[in-house]
Amino acid sequence: MAEKHAITVTVNGRLYRAEVEPRRTLADFLREDLNLVGTHLGCEHGVCGNCTVLVDGKSTRSCLMFAVQADGREVLTVEGLAPNGDLHPLQRAFWEHHALQCGFCTPAMLLTAYEYLTTRPDAGTDEEIREAISGVLCRCTGYQNIVTAIRAAAKQMAPSP
Amino acid sequence: MKPVAFDYYRPTSVEEVHALLASHGGGGKILAGGQSLVPLLNMRLARPAAIIDINRVAALEYLHANGDGLVLGALTRQQSLLENRAVAERYPLLVEAVRYIGHRQIRNWGTVGGSLAHADPAAELPVTMVALDAEITASSARGARAIPAREFFLDTLTTALEPDELLASVRLPALSPGTGWSFLEVSRRHGDFALVAVAALVTRDEAGVCTDARLVLGGVGPVPQVVEVRDLLIGQQPTPDAIAAAADVAGAVIEPASDVHATAEYRRHVARVLARRALTTAVERAGGRR
Amino acid sequence: MAEVATKRPRWIGKSMPRVEDLRFLRGKGRYIDDLKLPNMAHAAILRSPYAHARIVRIDTSAAERLPGVYKVVTGKDVAERMNPLPTFAVGPIYQHLLAVDKVRYAGEAVAAVVAENRYIAEDACDLIEVEYEPLPPVVDPFEAMEPGAPLVHEALGSNIAYSRTFTFGDVEGDFANADHVVSARLRWPRSSAMPMETNGAIGDYDEGTGTLTIYANSMNFTYFQWLIATSLKIPASKLKVVPINAGGSFGSKFFMHKVPTMAGFLSMVAGRPVKYVEDRIDHILNNDHCGSDRYYDVSLAFDNDGTLRSLKIDCVDDYGAYLQFGTGTHGNALAQVVGPYRIQSVQYKLTAVLTNKNQQGAYRGFGSEVNNWVLERMVDLAARKLGMDRAEIRRKNFIRPEQFPYKIPTGNIYDSGNYEGVLDKALKLVDYEYWVGERERARQEGRYLGIGIVTAQERSVFSSTEFWFWFDQPSFPVTSSPESATITIDPTGKFVVTLHSLAFWGNSPETVVTQVVAEEFDVDPSDIVVTYADSQHALPGTGPGGSRFTVMVTGALVGASARLKEKIKKIAAHELEVSPDDLEFSEGKVRVKGSPDRALTLDQIALKAYMFRLDLPEDIESGLEASYTYDHPYTTLPSADRKDLGVFYPFVGHACHIAVVEVDPETGQFTYHKYAAVHDCGTVVNPMTLHGHITGGAVQGLGTALFEEYVYDESGQMLTASFMDYLVPTAMDVPRFDIDHQETPSPYTPYGIKGGGEGGRMMSPGAITAALEDALEPFGVRITELPITPSKIVGWIQQARGGQA
Ligand SMILES: Cc1cc2nc3c(=O)[nH]c(=O)nc-3n(C[C@H](O)[C@H](O)[C@H](O)COP(=O)(O)OP(=O)(O)OC[C@H]3O[C@@H](n4cnc5c(N)ncnc54)[C@H](O)[C@@H]3O)c2cc1C
Ligand code: FES
Ligand code: FES
Repeated sequence: MAEKHAITVTVNGRLYRAEVEPRRTLADFLREDLNLVGTHLGCEHGVCGNCTVLVDGKSTRSCLMFAVQADGREVLTVEGLAPNGDLHPLQRAFWEHHALQCGFCTPAMLLTAYEYLTTRPDAGTDEEIREAISGVLCRCTGYQNIVTAIRAAAKQMAPSP
Repeated sequence: MKPVAFDYYRPTSVEEVHALLASHGGGGKILAGGQSLVPLLNMRLARPAAIIDINRVAALEYLHANGDGLVLGALTRQQSLLENRAVAERYPLLVEAVRYIGHRQIRNWGTVGGSLAHADPAAELPVTMVALDAEITASSARGARAIPAREFFLDTLTTALEPDELLASVRLPALSPGTGWSFLEVSRRHGDFALVAVAALVTRDEAGVCTDARLVLGGVGPVPQVVEVRDLLIGQQPTPDAIAAAADVAGAVIEPASDVHATAEYRRHVARVLARRALTTAVERAGGRR
Repeated sequence: MAEVATKRPRWIGKSMPRVEDLRFLRGKGRYIDDLKLPNMAHAAILRSPYAHARIVRIDTSAAERLPGVYKVVTGKDVAERMNPLPTFAVGPIYQHLLAVDKVRYAGEAVAAVVAENRYIAEDACDLIEVEYEPLPPVVDPFEAMEPGAPLVHEALGSNIAYSRTFTFGDVEGDFANADHVVSARLRWPRSSAMPMETNGAIGDYDEGTGTLTIYANSMNFTYFQWLIATSLKIPASKLKVVPINAGGSFGSKFFMHKVPTMAGFLSMVAGRPVKYVEDRIDHILNNDHCGSDRYYDVSLAFDNDGTLRSLKIDCVDDYGAYLQFGTGTHGNALAQVVGPYRIQSVQYKLTAVLTNKNQQGAYRGFGSEVNNWVLERMVDLAARKLGMDRAEIRRKNFIRPEQFPYKIPTGNIYDSGNYEGVLDKALKLVDYEYWVGERERARQEGRYLGIGIVTAQERSVFSSTEFWFWFDQPSFPVTSSPESATITIDPTGKFVVTLHSLAFWGNSPETVVTQVVAEEFDVDPSDIVVTYADSQHALPGTGPGGSRFTVMVTGALVGASARLKEKIKKIAAHELEVSPDDLEFSEGKVRVKGSPDRALTLDQIALKAYMFRLDLPEDIESGLEASYTYDHPYTTLPSADRKDLGVFYPFVGHACHIAVVEVDPETGQFTYHKYAAVHDCGTVVNPMTLHGHITGGAVQGLGTALFEEYVYDESGQMLTASFMDYLVPTAMDVPRFDIDHQETPSPYTPYGIKGGGEGGRMMSPGAITAALEDALEPFGVRITELPITPSKIVGWIQQARGGQA
């Protein structure tokens, strides 16, 4: 077995130190070692996007990154979206617009939408929203309500004039 | 679906990378964006003894102007090509191509060097770099050498890189003024590798006469396929007939394969269609009429 | 039947945001892979690389020596300690948890490792040496039927597991008298539900009591729990299955038995809790339920005026190596084989063939979505032959509203419907006239615009007779398929509702329960909590399949509510000194009709019921709880000669989908101009969640029609065994849907609800096929197979043009 590496990662604003085997994926590190199980594994080969988290603010497939690579970086998972038991406007909009059924893709969708709205606060066109979430597969919703919810959240999040 | 165990190195300088590659004698794999390598590791289709993670080699992540051209460090993220003004102004072809790569999450980490070194026959960047006449710099403890993109891709997933070599950078020469561009592709699903991809560049003078034309196809053979169309286009107004004739050459010279997603005949047919469309758009965008 | 609320519903029919959602939005879904038990180990499975091979020798010693490995088991252990897995098959078609002696498809489980973590378990799998003697595989079902073909199950003596022709009505007469007959060969390839979460389970064997607990994301553990116990050779009373939220099922976790049985067995042999969660490749290669894989020869007889008379169907279904669900997926097709049309007679021939592939099972539609596609293809062919408008031929043949309840030739009953109403709504929603005009304009401009219309059924609430009417002497002619609910009001007046066979899989069990109970008692939805019983505490239940859930659970809830309300009224009447008949439930209180200030709140009554025995009427026992088991409300037996299959799927919804597309004939790609869907599934409990089922289902149907396919090569290797090649559509690959409803209540169910869970997948494959065919009409292309890929479209156009591009 390969040597373990000491890493320091900030996850949802909290600093974690750990020793990990190099082959341990970031997803497994979050899920198994930190018990942050909101990050879901749907394929483990980079296609479904259900494992998406933000690493240094960038949407990232956590099945395609090793935990050692996250050393010194900042990770945001769904558990960190609205820390005090509140709902982030995106979470609220997903709820109100029925943008989830089984909920398995939901954390990834939320984080993907979160990144998108930081670059496109007005949410853009439906086509642009669809493009933005195209890297996360959802098998339940048919996507339509997710698009609606992201647009609604953008309105909520817009600074009041 | 978990990888086999490997040793992990995280060099911070190019020299360290060279030394690690040399000491592992082919058993060390460079990890760049990981968007192609890690799926292979997870599926245990790749079982390297050591992983050399170059993500902390700051000297590999840059985008420099070079006269009217550009030099891209190997670690340049694909997404950054969509967000860079110099790229947008000088190589709109590259922007058009990169939009077809996967999804945001893939492009956030996926690198220029990784895509070229991986050499997937259906990937957009190899096709684009060949069309742009890019030059790739390979470096190792033994020194550095320049390889024209046209000579870099040897076979499916096989390049001219030696096992101890790092793909260090890519140099894009300036495009002649009046060059029009177009990148088109067909895939079965949004964000997937291309069934057929086409890059076209056409240069026209003030009078609209074609002075240069390049056409490169992806997905239709083991490596990006350069289609020689200059004889059919240069020295004249690029008329629809001339373009169609050039596109027919594209259909004729390639040897595509069939797979579960499309037949060889389809690929050949669509190669011709996309070649015609891409050349037409490139012609419209080119010099004379702008 | 229990009393049904007569006043205007307050909660039923409301687009209430789902009560399930908060945990999932926060990443606290507690899916199976999120659970950890102390001392838990992890399993990985070694799978066969061959489609057909004899297992000569397995050497597990190197794997066993690997540090961190607790246990390695093979087919030998399974053969010694277990019974075969459950099956509806008749005849010697035995399936074992791990292959015994021979493997019958690529991906079949050969050995299992239990280790400290999944990484080590997979390392150990790499170290297991298996010597195979490859056998010739049989992959094509028609070759499988040839004499001398390699046998998947030697003991059966043939690869034909079942073959029979059923005739309903005077088929030959109707064909002879009809003006026209159209025939077609149609192909529906295998795809799979492919939920984002794979199947998973944790086994936890308690050596002290001999009780095995299995936590699993399985759907109908109550109905089948005893079958799993039988496989494991333990008393059913000592097997406790605990339902865990599932990240999608769509049938794939319906009768999920391989994974829970595996986790249970491994826990028993390893002596510690064991988690086994399929990875995506495990799931694709070896899941319990792939979709139908059918070849059809179909003929439709009709008259000059468009009257449809009779239908002949000859179907070869490639079931793969095992027959878990028997041929039940065709029972489903037979429940609505004539669609919404007054077709008088039907012949249905089924040949079920075994090949070296993974088994089939349930996928949203359960085989009747295939029949919908087939029938709608045939109706379009008839319309084209007559030059009739495709909407009009449908309208002409619809069963009329006054004809319900309507008995179709197979014997099933359609309860209610207004198909013309749905069609008209859909034509209006899509603006049919406009698009017909656009299509003509486009054609003149050399563009290829097409409109596809589908009017099809969504039968709901299966009854179990569909699994066995296939046989004259069925081995297990089951007739029950109940559902239960328990309602408890705690001493503080809050509600806890327990469901008995249903886990959450993305449907809305807790929201449905909340809406119904809030309606029944007129209480605030926030006062209701929903829980799921494990199998040891469960009352009879069948599980959410065949669009059963909403109807059946509402029936159970209405029944339990009636019992509980009666008790509450007795207590309140005693206290208020009035007759129970003078009391009514309103806003969390029980009050005297006509004098609203004479009332007791539910918490006052509850506290009394639990704590003040001496204040209660004498014949009332302490506590406030009632259960009710709701049996299928309308099941009848098949006739002995099987000329009438009886009633087994009687609550029949209907929908019309209309797609408008434009094809680029040069690349075979297309764009959507419009997609409209109007559904009628009786009284709608929650329009918002029903919309969700319609869109989600429609997108799955588009996946089947355009993207997804299990492709096996001639050696039986699966060529689409990852998400790189098995193409689940992204947000960019699907249209926006315009959705509307019509409500034609069922006369047989509480509140008039019909099931709507299978949603759009029943219709969208037909709608998109028809739209694309219509777009290609100038070339005369007829689409007879799925998936419809750009490559095929260009090929068909070239063929139609005589081979020229
Ligand atoms: C779902 C999905 C969709 C995708 N879609 C597309 C698509 O449509 N088009 C497309 O082109 N790509 C696509 N990709 C692949 C993506 O673009 C990858 O980023 C790219 O192919 C490899 O780049 P990387 O930086 O991730 O390289 P890595 O995965 O890190 O490495 C790939 C290979 O290159 C080698 N390598 C990397 N960098 C160097 C270097 N500097 N010197 C020498 N060797 C090096 C590695 O050792 C490895 O063998 C997709 C990936 C996924 C997961
Ligand atoms: S689990 Fe990471 S992309 Fe599917
Ligand atoms: S809600 Fe189930 S996968 Fe998206």
